[in-house]
Amino acid sequence: MAEFANLVWIVAKIVALVVPLFIAVAYMTYAERRVIGWIQWRKGPNRVGIYGLLQPIADACKLLMKEVVIPQNANRFLFLLAPLFSIIPALAAWAVLPLGDGLVVADIDAGLLYVLAMTSMGVYGVIVAGWASNSKYALIGAMRAGAQVVSYEIAMGFALVGVLMAAGSLNMSEIVHAQQGPFWNWFWLPLLPLFIVYWVSGVAETNRLPFDVAEGESEIVAGFHVEYSGMAFAIFFLAEYANMILIAGLATILFLGGWYSPFHGIGYLGPIFDLVPGTLWFCLKAGFFLFGYFWFRGTFPRYRYDQIMRLGWKVLIPVTVVWLVVESVFILTGFGPWF
Amino acid sequence: MIELLLFYVFAAVLLFAATMVITAKNPVHSALFLVLAFFNSAALWLMAEAEFLGIALVLVYVGAVMVLFLFVVMMLDINLAPMREGFARYLPIGALVGCVMVVEMALVVGSKDVNLIHGGPVTSAAEGVGMSNTKALGSVLYTVYAYPFEIASVVLLVAIVAAIMLTHRRRPGTKQQNIDRQVRVRKEQRLRIVTMAPEKRK
Amino acid sequence: MLESYLPILVFLVIAGFAGLAPLVAGLVLAPRRPDENKLSPYECGFEAFEDSRMKFDVRYYLVAILFIIFDLEIAFLFPWAVVLDQVGLFGFVAMAIFVGILLIGFLYEWKKGALEWE
Repeated sequence: MAEFANLVWIVAKIVALVVPLFIAVAYMTYAERRVIGWIQWRKGPNRVGIYGLLQPIADACKLLMKEVVIPQNANRFLFLLAPLFSIIPALAAWAVLPLGDGLVVADIDAGLLYVLAMTSMGVYGVIVAGWASNSKYALIGAMRAGAQVVSYEIAMGFALVGVLMAAGSLNMSEIVHAQQGPFWNWFWLPLLPLFIVYWVSGVAETNRLPFDVAEGESEIVAGFHVEYSGMAFAIFFLAEYANMILIAGLATILFLGGWYSPFHGIGYLGPIFDLVPGTLWFCLKAGFFLFGYFWFRGTFPRYRYDQIMRLGWKVLIPVTVVWLVVESVFILTGFGPWF
Repeated sequence: MIELLLFYVFAAVLLFAATMVITAKNPVHSALFLVLAFFNSAALWLMAEAEFLGIALVLVYVGAVMVLFLFVVMMLDINLAPMREGFARYLPIGALVGCVMVVEMALVVGSKDVNLIHGGPVTSAAEGVGMSNTKALGSVLYTVYAYPFEIASVVLLVAIVAAIMLTHRRRPGTKQQNIDRQVRVRKEQRLRIVTMAPEKRK
Repeated sequence: MLESYLPILVFLVIAGFAGLAPLVAGLVLAPRRPDENKLSPYECGFEAFEDSRMKFDVRYYLVAILFIIFDLEIAFLFPWAVVLDQVGLFGFVAMAIFVGILLIGFLYEWKKGALEWE
């Protein structure tokens, strides 16, 4: 009986995480269109509801009523399974992210390793979708996305190693605890190169502009999900945005002190800012990164494929390796307030 | 109770997936069943309290090795019919290798040093001193087992060199951007100023 | 330790449902009126003239192989990063040799041009 109650509690926690996440995804699409509109000196969606606030709901209803076309040459089973391959890891990685002090679904010791394992699974959705569609554009998009994602995963992994060295733990909550204090105590400052590498490779991992050659709508139409329509397409969309929020949340936890306020522990300022709940600080910081995504999209032209691969292998990886050496010297000599 | 149930579920799915790997007709299905098998064995390792190894199995095998397998299987046009024929031909060799592996595993499990059968559940050293699994592993891997650890890096180096030797060849006639040369270009290399005598229209 | 992994198992199941439910809803609610042109693979209005599963540049495989090796290196770095303050200088030197040897491989692939895409 106690076990059953425990299970119900777990399910309740997960639902309390997943439902706001879905809403956040829906309104991110709205925010993205408004921000891009603003950058491009136009209005963006403003017809459905006041300020167009009901637009995401209208979009969801539209997609729900659209036919899910399954091409005749496609491998039907894998074709329908591929969207699940991309959404399950995108959601499951959220299990270990602490949104506030102690506010986490699964507080496991190997939290960061688990996140890395889950994000590395996201590539299956892309590859299987590209292959199962049996279409040239889809296959080209899938191959490009596959090679790109794995290349940037190395740089990302090295950047995470730097965070681990500074925090001395794989547990996400402990990583945040290690950054307790005002904003200059957070890891972004001593690990600045790794922070930048992490953020750039995070954008590349999610196949967002300026690294979106996998989709490349002006050359390979939509890449791996060219054959998908209706709800099957919506799930890929959902997974992509859930991944974007995940990368933003991870960047917050690993480099920007998670739920701590920027003035935590300074004289009179600290207690005043601590009145704002930690989860709100977390959301604000993550929102900053999400705005960065839109900003990049509104600003940068798309990279060429060879430029993407060069940036990943020849710039980001050497930078991380050098900084890991510098950092371990810091740690062994006990340099600064961080180590 | 739940634990035991979960164990049998994972073990059953693992065996099913492993069987499907060798019986599935489509090689892509085989590869995906292998992914499922890795997942379930990772879950089993987790249940044996090998936290780090379990998740590393997912990270390295599912996240990296199987991606390569899928690349290879998807992109080579493998004709299915000849592969079916090979099944009977390679059966004796396969059976022999299988037997050798079973005997080897029996030797390991049955040996006195590894007390798996009578020792009951293995209580990990990490649990005793309240250390996380990863820390316990790290504290011995880079000190006590430093030598095998370095050997591992040599093995990986050999893998890098071999992979490049086998697959990399430069094809002539490909167009490539050489940024050094682009930047170093001088005006004289690109621009020729020709002095011409002015022509007069008659 | 195992109790902390139960939520993850439950989460995986719920995530599966969260993906499956809209998919099934879409298949049930949406109209299905397939015709030949709709079901043919997208090819900018042309008929497909060959099978889409073609041979790919070997470079993609090379990237995947190199990725495995560096992924393994990361897997080795993770426990090391956590215990660096305990294993001290000896552990640091052990890892420096490990990374140094792999760096030779990295420089080799760089010089060989295995990282070039044309």
